[in-house]
Amino acid sequence: MNRSISYKTIAGLIDTGGKKRSKFTSYLGLCLGVLLLLVAVQMFININQLIKDKNPRKNGYDYISITKNITNQNMGQDNRFTTADVAELKKQPFITDAAPLISNQFRVKASAGNIIPFSTDLFLEAIQNDFIDTLPPNFTWQQGQVTVPIIFSADYLEMYNVFAPAQDLPQMSAATISTVNINLECYAPYGFQTFKGNIVAISDRINSVLVPENFLTWANKHYGNAENVPAARVFIKTTDANSSELLNFLQEKDYRINKDKTKFGRVKQVLQAIVTGLGSFAVLVIILAMLLFSFYLQLMIARSKDNLQLLITLGYSPGWLSKTVSYKWIPVYGIIIAVALLVTQLIQFFFRHSFLSARETLSPMLNWSVVGLAVCLFVLCITINYRLIKKLLYHL
Amino acid sequence: MPLRYIQIQPLFRKKINFLINLIKAAKVIRRLLLYLRFMKIILQQVYPSFLDKELINHSQIWTKELCFSAGENIQIVAPSGSGKTSLIYFLYGLRNDYEGNIFFDEKNIRSFSPEDWATYRSEKISIMFQDLRLFPQLNGAENIEIKRALQPFHNTVEMINMAKDLGIQNKLQQKTETCSYGEKQRIATVRSLQQPFEFLLMDEPFSHLDEVNRQKSMQLLQEEATRRNAGIILADLKPIEFFKPHRTLYL
Repeated sequence: MNRSISYKTIAGLIDTGGKKRSKFTSYLGLCLGVLLLLVAVQMFININQLIKDKNPRKNGYDYISITKNITNQNMGQDNRFTTADVAELKKQPFITDAAPLISNQFRVKASAGNIIPFSTDLFLEAIQNDFIDTLPPNFTWQQGQVTVPIIFSADYLEMYNVFAPAQDLPQMSAATISTVNINLECYAPYGFQTFKGNIVAISDRINSVLVPENFLTWANKHYGNAENVPAARVFIKTTDANSSELLNFLQEKDYRINKDKTKFGRVKQVLQAIVTGLGSFAVLVIILAMLLFSFYLQLMIARSKDNLQLLITLGYSPGWLSKTVSYKWIPVYGIIIAVALLVTQLIQFFFRHSFLSARETLSPMLNWSVVGLAVCLFVLCITINYRLIKKLLYHL
Repeated sequence: MPLRYIQIQPLFRKKINFLINLIKAAKVIRRLLLYLRFMKIILQQVYPSFLDKELINHSQIWTKELCFSAGENIQIVAPSGSGKTSLIYFLYGLRNDYEGNIFFDEKNIRSFSPEDWATYRSEKISIMFQDLRLFPQLNGAENIEIKRALQPFHNTVEMINMAKDLGIQNKLQQKTETCSYGEKQRIATVRSLQQPFEFLLMDEPFSHLDEVNRQKSMQLLQEEATRRNAGIILADLKPIEFFKPHRTLYL
């Protein structure tokens, strides 16, 4: 076959007119479908990128406190975590570790001596050391030791500073609070014993008054006569507090969590569901557009059937014809997909510019996988088009 | 120096003669090889499955063993309804409702793919249909060009000269649907000559031409066939007076 021969030679014999509207509708549909799909993929990537960086992390882990959900139905029961519950939590692949917060089983009263005339009933809790974010080396206790180190919650300090002025108490900074001498009165059925409490650190992570674990275990046994007490709260250590598996598991077990920590996880779940829905819808639109276009092609070939048949009779190769006819649509598909890609880029630009102007973590450019997807769609369109025309021509 | 030259000369001449003879022999061998390479069409007990037994029995083609070689002119004389057009269609691959086998160069044409046919139709076999098969919406020149562009044997000037020879040069810019049947026949004749071929199949090519035009057309066809060392298979109702066949077969 003569190599210089081109579509021009046979252009007049192929009736591309006719249903112009169905042709353009299919182009528009394809463009919209591709645009939706590209935007959906880009947004999916955006969401993942934004939410991943949302939580400040300590050595790559999130620590979340969970409690059992107290409802009107289970109010009377013991809603604490048994050893088996904790073991089950530890077993989950998305939970790196879990530790119960042991609480005091005896009455504790705290007073701050003469400088701050303040006295209150208090609770004490203890947790294994590696769960504590601010662990000073002197957070230890030995039997017989009168001074008990305390790690105080930053939130409680803030709360104290809110009500202190009204009570004629001095407000305190995190540094000064360590200088305050606290008297801890531990009550047993037969009397009480006083320890010297010393705040050694302030914790952002654990909302509690923490004492060394061995002190509380000893004191519970000594004053409250209680051993292996179930914990009301459990702290879990996980690599991703926003992972959907974790959230689903907690939901299934009806455990309450600090909503704030996993808020973005929920948002991410919902957004991802929406974007996935959008993506599936886009695939549907693309399929419909391709279908419409295939009808248009079938019509075109049917209208030009006599001419195409005669060309084949004259010695034109059906393979060459299908290639040449389908190549005619390469620029059309190219333009459609390029337009969709460009609009996606504009949307990404606009999205970053108007909603996240302060956020530098999001790239204003499209992710490479979105561009890759556009190229794949282009190749797919050309291939489908070629195969369809070839099939129609060989069956003439 | 001259002496030595004289001494060497007879030996040198001998060598030259030997070389010339060698070249001559090579030419003969090449021609022989070329002849062997020429396309052959073999019909092996071919007959149309739909035709009456009576007609088949009296035919010189149906159910017979025949071999057509390129360069050979075959005239097929056939009354209406004897399967003349069917035979042309069988040979051109447009129909295959026949018994027996047809071979092109030892290849059974039943096994040809559409691409094989495209190759044969653009390089080895040209055709002039009884119903001409021109694109009605195109003019004469475009109709011819569409065949020429596929596998050009002539340039455009030669193509126009052929049209002039047949007296249709002023029809080249006219849509073929408005041309007379005789004019269309001549356009189809010119079209069939634009490609290389080893066989030219013709089905009642001159039915609507006067004697002068028949003669001109036949002359052009034979010249072109000779140029390509090709054979013509011409099927008509009666023998054509200006055609000089090597064989005449009655269908």
